[in-house]
Amino acid sequence: MDAGVIPISNTQLALSVILVLITGVISAALRLELLKPLLWGTVRTYLQLTLIGYALTYIFNINNLILIIVIISLMCLVASRTAVRGSPRAGRYSMLLGFFSLWTSTFLVGTIVMVLIISPEPWYSARIAIPIFGMILGNSMNGIALSLERLFSEVKSKISEIEALLSFGASPWESVRDCVKEALRAGMTPTINSLMVVGLVSLPGMMTGQILAGADPQQASRPLPVVVMLMIAAAVAIGCLMLVLLYYKKLFTKEDAIAHYV
Amino acid sequence: MPEFFKFDQIEYHMGAAGRTVKVSSDLEEGSILVIKGPSGAGKTTLLRILARLLECDKGQVFLQGQNWLSFTPQLWRSKINYLAQKPAVFNGTVLDNLKKPFALKIKKDMFNLDEAIDGLRELSLNENLIHQDARTLSGGETARITLLRPILFKPNILLLDEPFASLDDNSARSVMEFLKRWLENETGRGIVMVTHNDIYKDISGIKIQELELSEPGVN
Repeated sequence: MDAGVIPISNTQLALSVILVLITGVISAALRLELLKPLLWGTVRTYLQLTLIGYALTYIFNINNLILIIVIISLMCLVASRTAVRGSPRAGRYSMLLGFFSLWTSTFLVGTIVMVLIISPEPWYSARIAIPIFGMILGNSMNGIALSLERLFSEVKSKISEIEALLSFGASPWESVRDCVKEALRAGMTPTINSLMVVGLVSLPGMMTGQILAGADPQQASRPLPVVVMLMIAAAVAIGCLMLVLLYYKKLFTKEDAIAHYV
Repeated sequence: MPEFFKFDQIEYHMGAAGRTVKVSSDLEEGSILVIKGPSGAGKTTLLRILARLLECDKGQVFLQGQNWLSFTPQLWRSKINYLAQKPAVFNGTVLDNLKKPFALKIKKDMFNLDEAIDGLRELSLNENLIHQDARTLSGGETARITLLRPILFKPNILLLDEPFASLDDNSARSVMEFLKRWLENETGRGIVMVTHNDIYKDISGIKIQELELSEPGVN
C-alpha cells in the first residue's frame, strides 16, 4: 500500500519553507505586515501536522466510539472559534451558536455518510471517520464564517430599512428576511462554485490524495469523491441555515426592536 | 371616557453622560402634540420609546386607556407609527414603496391604489410619479412620499420626527394642511411631532399642544 506514496525527505521539506520566505520578503518590502502571521502559520502547520500524525496513529489503534466523538467535538470547538472571530460584536452567543450549528450539521451529515454510504466495519472506524468529519468541518467553518459576517454587514447597512419595516409592525423575521437570504447565499457560494467547476479547475482534496498515493485516476474520481463533494455541500447548507436562523433573533431585543450592539 | 393617548412618567437616559429625562404628557384626539427642545434633549429618543423601538427605564403609555404592554410590539407599532427624520427608501418605484408595509402579515394586501393616488394629489405631487424609481426623487418629493406611506397605513398616532426638514415653506404649509385634514377625516387619530419649524402656527383651526424638553427633571 505504501508503494505509491511519494516520499518527502527533511531536505525537501526545508526547501518548501523557501517558498514562504519569498512571500515573507515581499511582504516585508511592501510593509504588508504579513510576515509574522505567515511565519507563525508555517510553524503551526508543521507542528500541528506532525503532532496529529502521532495522535492519529494512537486514535486509529484504539478506535473507540466515545474517543472519536470527543475528538470531533474538539475539532468543532476550534472550528467554531475560528468561524466567529470575524464578528466580535455578538460576543459569547456567536461562539455558542456557531459551535452548536457546526456540531449538529457535522454530526448529522457525517453520521449519515458513515452509516449509510461508506459503512465501514465498525461503522465509526476512526480511520475513515476522522478524515471525513475533518473535510466536512473545514468547509462548514468557512461557510458559517462568511454567512455570519454577511448577516452583520447586511443588517448594519440596511438598518434604516429594517427599522422602517419594524415600525410598520413587521416581525423580526419579516424585517431581516432579505439580509438572511444574502447571508445564506454568501455562505453557500464557495461550495456551489466548487460543485460547478470540480474536475475542471480543481480536484477534490481526497482525489488528489489518492492520485498522489498512486491510485488510478478513473477509480480515484468515482464514487467516493462525489459522495464527499455532496456531503460537504449538504453540511455547509445545513450549518449556515441553522446558524443564521438561530442567530438573527439575537439581533433583536425581547421587545422585537433592533438590539443596541448591532 | 379614557384619555386618547397618554404617557406617564416616562424616564430614560441620554447617551454616555447618562442624563435622566423624565416626561409625562397626554394628547387629545384630533390634535397635535409638538415636542420642542434643544438638540440632545432627547426628542427623537422619546418618539422611538413611544413606538417601542427603544426601551425606557420607567413609565407607561396608554392608548385609549389600554396599557402599551397589553399589545404585541407589532400591533402597537402598527397603531403608533414612527416616521424617522430620514425615512428609509426601498428599492423599486414609488408604488413599491407605498405598498411595502402591506406586504407584512399585520395588514397584508390591504393596499388601496385610489387612496394612494388621492394622497399624491393632496400633497401636490404628480400622480405619474407613482411609477418612477423612488431613489431618483428629489429631497422634497422623498419627504412627502415617505410621509404618505404611514398615512395610507392608517395608524392611530403618527410619530413624526422633523417632517419639514427638507421642505420649503410652501410645501411645509401644504403638508401641514394635509396632516390637519388627516386628523379631521376620521376619529381616533393624533400626531406627536418633533419640529423646529413653527409653520403650524399659521394654520387656523388646528389643535396644538406643546411640550418642552429641556433640563433634566423639569417635566
